[in-house]
Formats: sequence, structure tokens, C-alpha cells
Amino acid sequence: MKKKRPIQALNAKARAIQSLLDGEGKTVAALQQGPPAMPVGCTTIFDTGWETNPRPTYPVGNCQSSAKDFHGCAGDCWWPAQVPDGLTNHQDFDKQCPNVARDWRVLKYD
Amino acid sequence: MAELLSWTDHRVFTGSGEALIFGVEEASLFSLNHKAHETLLKWRSTELIDLDKTPLPDQEMLQGLRDAQILLPATWQKVCPTPPKPGQVPLSTLVLEVAQDCNLRCTYCYAESGTYGAAPCLLDPDTARQAVHHLLDNSGDHKHVTLIFFGGEPLLNMQAIRAAVSEAILYGEKIDKQVHFSITTNGTLLDSEIVAFLHDNRVSVAVSLDGPGHIHDHNRPDEKGNGTYTEIVSRLGVLLKNSPVPVAARVTLTPDQWHAMTEVYDHLIGLGFHEVGIAPVSPVNKTLLATHVQQTALLKGFESLADRFVSTARKGLVLPFSNLLDLLARIHLGQTRAVSCGAGFGYMAVDAKGEFFPCHRLTGQADFNAGSLAEGINTDSITSCLDSLNNGRSQSCSKCWARSLCVGGCHYENHLRENQLGLPRGTSCNFIRSWLDLGIRTYAELRSDGAIAAMGQRLEQRAQC
Repeated sequence: MKKKRPIQALNAKARAIQSLLDGEGKTVAALQQGPPAMPVGCTTIFDTGWETNPRPTYPVGNCQSSAKDFHGCAGDCWWPAQVPDGLTNHQDFDKQCPNVARDWRVLKYD
Repeated sequence: MAELLSWTDHRVFTGSGEALIFGVEEASLFSLNHKAHETLLKWRSTELIDLDKTPLPDQEMLQGLRDAQILLPATWQKVCPTPPKPGQVPLSTLVLEVAQDCNLRCTYCYAESGTYGAAPCLLDPDTARQAVHHLLDNSGDHKHVTLIFFGGEPLLNMQAIRAAVSEAILYGEKIDKQVHFSITTNGTLLDSEIVAFLHDNRVSVAVSLDGPGHIHDHNRPDEKGNGTYTEIVSRLGVLLKNSPVPVAARVTLTPDQWHAMTEVYDHLIGLGFHEVGIAPVSPVNKTLLATHVQQTALLKGFESLADRFVSTARKGLVLPFSNLLDLLARIHLGQTRAVSCGAGFGYMAVDAKGEFFPCHRLTGQADFNAGSLAEGINTDSITSCLDSLNNGRSQSCSKCWARSLCVGGCHYENHLRENQLGLPRGTSCNFIRSWLDLGIRTYAELRSDGAIAAMGQRLEQRAQC
């Protein structure tokens, strides 16, 4: 039997307020928990602070927020950020600077 | 940085069962177990609470109150949605004053024997049809709208009623909308032909009947001063028999009759009405203002009917007492409003000359005139007359726990008490708060019995009316 809450919603408005929390509980989940899965698309990926790099490219294992944002916004992940056009004109741009946080100055692209 | 929490406006109800807490802003209602209630009492006077620094057993309970939005971050500010403007709300209900004339002389009539202070007159059938078009053409996305026949005594003008009903059906079909009809009558003119018409068109009928003969006849004599109870009751049989929609008795009681509320209710249910609603009289003159003892009697009457409502619900039945059903419906949903009622916001009245007013009770009052069928509804007039009536009211209501349910109360009643009788603001507030208090306690009692679950759908439908 479900345990009765010490503070129990009686009317519909009270239930609506408590249900806001049910939604809240599900919106944040650590990526290390549960079955390994590759979230798809920028909006579901917290690139910043994501400790492992799922892509077979440099910088591997980098968790520098600037680096992760930079790579997360390029290639097949469309995002209108100021990163090189990695699909056609600058396919190997990431090789120019294995460590974006350190080597970003070597990136020279239009 | 630690989040500091502060209390939002709330009211605690204690009694025989678990304590209740009512969140004022949202009209949310929670029950508190003993431990949660104790924690609330312990922390209630602390203005700013840092959850991380509270002892663990209290923390769980305070977190629960945080989840219920009784505690919120001290920086929280209620985002008030911009209140709608009258013109932005499509029409859903139109009251047609089909007859500003009456064959009775009720002692407490607010409409000066049905005339609303003008020479007696009847609504022209063409104007009635025009009003129907106005309602349907200005009803926005509503698929169902309501047309109410009112007066005076509306049955004095069956010609206009028939014209309006047939036009509403024809035009409604053409534009794929349905009109629901309703009438409030004194019942003295009902006959089999009229009743057949009302039944055929599923007109919801409310009969103004104030209880047993000795009470009713005192309040509602005819033009010669004779009682009308016997006449009305003799005509009720045909109306109540096989009615396709519920027939309600609509009672008005003067302060000296408030002690007899349960007797009145029982009598009317005994006559076969499907539902009974009881209104304490509006004090149209100072002799109708109640004493403290009379106000206590009024509440006692409502309390005993509420008790009966609960015991009836335990048997799986619904006591057809309109006042309480309407209140429970609002509490059930936690319905808060930006305005106290629909007057001017989807609800309008048209008088017998085709002039608009924000509500039937304000008909004929020049200050509240809001345009005409010929020129359309003047929404600026509605805004300005309601603003001037309510100027500063939200400020005086801002400390009241009942504000999200009451929202300042009835415009007419406020106008009557403050502008016409010269009473200070707030003379009916104590009664309103006591009535809402009774509703909340009754709701919680029904909830703990599981009775609300059975009638939930009925209440939800009612709240949408």
C-alpha cells in the first residue's frame, strides 16, 4: 500500500501543485546512472561537464567546458554557433587543436 | 548559497479530524497529519527558514510544506496574470429581461416590483431575436451558450420567449452552436401549454418559492396583497411531472426567517423539487439588515444542511442543496478567479428596451449601462463602472484569506450596501468567510470519507456552469 504523505493533497489544485514535483523529479538524471545510452541532440546533452567523450575524436576524455561546447556544436550536431564548418570545408579542424582549451589560438578558419 | 524560505499566505483549519491547510493564492487544500501540524506550529512564526539548518525530523515536514508551496523561496513573487478585459471574453450567457413588469409585490424585490425603476414594459419579440443573434455572434469558440429569461415575471411575455427560443434553435443550427435555455419564474402563470413548451425545449426552470405558506405568503403577495403559495403549488404538479431537466426552487429568506432554513428546505424537497437553493435577502432597505443573532441563525441553518449533506453522501447520495453544491465544486477544483463573477466578462443582461448591463441585478441603473443591441456592448463602460465600484477593493482584500475564492464579492451587493445604503466596506465579509470556512471543512470531511470521489465528476461539471 502506498504510504500516506504527512501532507496530503485534498483538492484538485493541491494535487496539481504536488504533481509539479513528480515532473521535476524526472527531469534531472545523472548520465552515469542506468543503462549506457547516447543521448541524441544538443538539447538533451549536457556537454559541459560530461566526463567522457563519446566521439572517437580529440580531445578524448576532456571535460573542459569550453572544449565540450566547441565540439558539441560542430559536425553532425547542428547548432548556430561560431564553430568551423566541419561537414564540408574544415572536416579535420579538431586535429589542429587536440586540446581546445589550450590550442584554440591555432584554429584559423573563416 | 542556501535557499531561504518564507511562508506564503495560508490558513489553518483545526477541528475534530486532521488539521487542514488552505493555500490562499492558489486555493489549494491539504490535510496535515499530527507531526506536520506540530512542525508547522513550531516554525510558523519564523520568517526566514534555511532548510539545511533545521533539525532533520522537522526538515522532512518543512520540505513537504515547501512542496505544497506553503513555503516558498523568500525571493518568490506571485506572477499575476493580466486580468482579462471585458471585450476579450466571448459571451457565454445572456439574460433577457423579457418583462419589466410583475404580477407579484414581493416585500424584498430589488427591481421595484419587477420594473427596475422604469415604467412597466415588455421586450419586443424582434428585439428578443436580435439579442439571440448578438449572443451567438459574440460567443467566440463556445459551442454551448445559455439564454436566461428573467424579469419581473418573464411568463408575462411568452411571445418574446417563444420568438427567442425559435430563433436560437434556427440560428444555432445554422452556425453549429447550441443554446441552453433557463427561466426564473414566480410560477403563478404556469399552465399546461406553457409547461409543454418549457419541457419541449428543455428549459431549466427555477421557481421562486420561499417555503411553506406562512413564510412564502409573507414575502411574496400578489398585487392585492393576497398570498400566492396555494396558487403556485397547484400549478407545480404539471411542471415537475416528467420534466426532462431538473426543476429548482429558488428561495429568498429575510433575516427574521433565517432560523427556519431547514424547515423551508424540507418543505420544498417534499413538494418534489429536484434542487433547492436558498439566498439570504439583499438588504434593499435598512430594515432588511440582519442583527448579529440573525446572522448566527443563518450560519446555523447552513451548517445543519451541510451536516445533512455529509450524512447523505455517506449513503452514496447527493443532497440537492444548490448553495453547497456550487461551493464544493469551486473548492474541489481550487478555482481562483481574477474577477468575482462573470458580470461583464462573458455574462451580460439585456433589458426590455434592448440596453446592456453587466448583470441582471444591475439592470436599469444608469451608471451601469453598457451599450445597446443597436450599438453593441460598450466595453469601456463596463470597465469604468466596475473599476469605480471596486476602486481600492483589492487593497482592502489583500490581507483576507478568502480573497482568491471571493474576489471582492457580488458587484450588486457591494453597490447596494456601499453606494445606496452608505454602509462601510466589508459588512458582508464575515458571513462570506464563515460560509467559505464551512465549505472547506465540509469538503475535507467528504474527502476523508471518500465521498468526494463518487461525486467528483458532478462537481467538476457544475464548476464549469
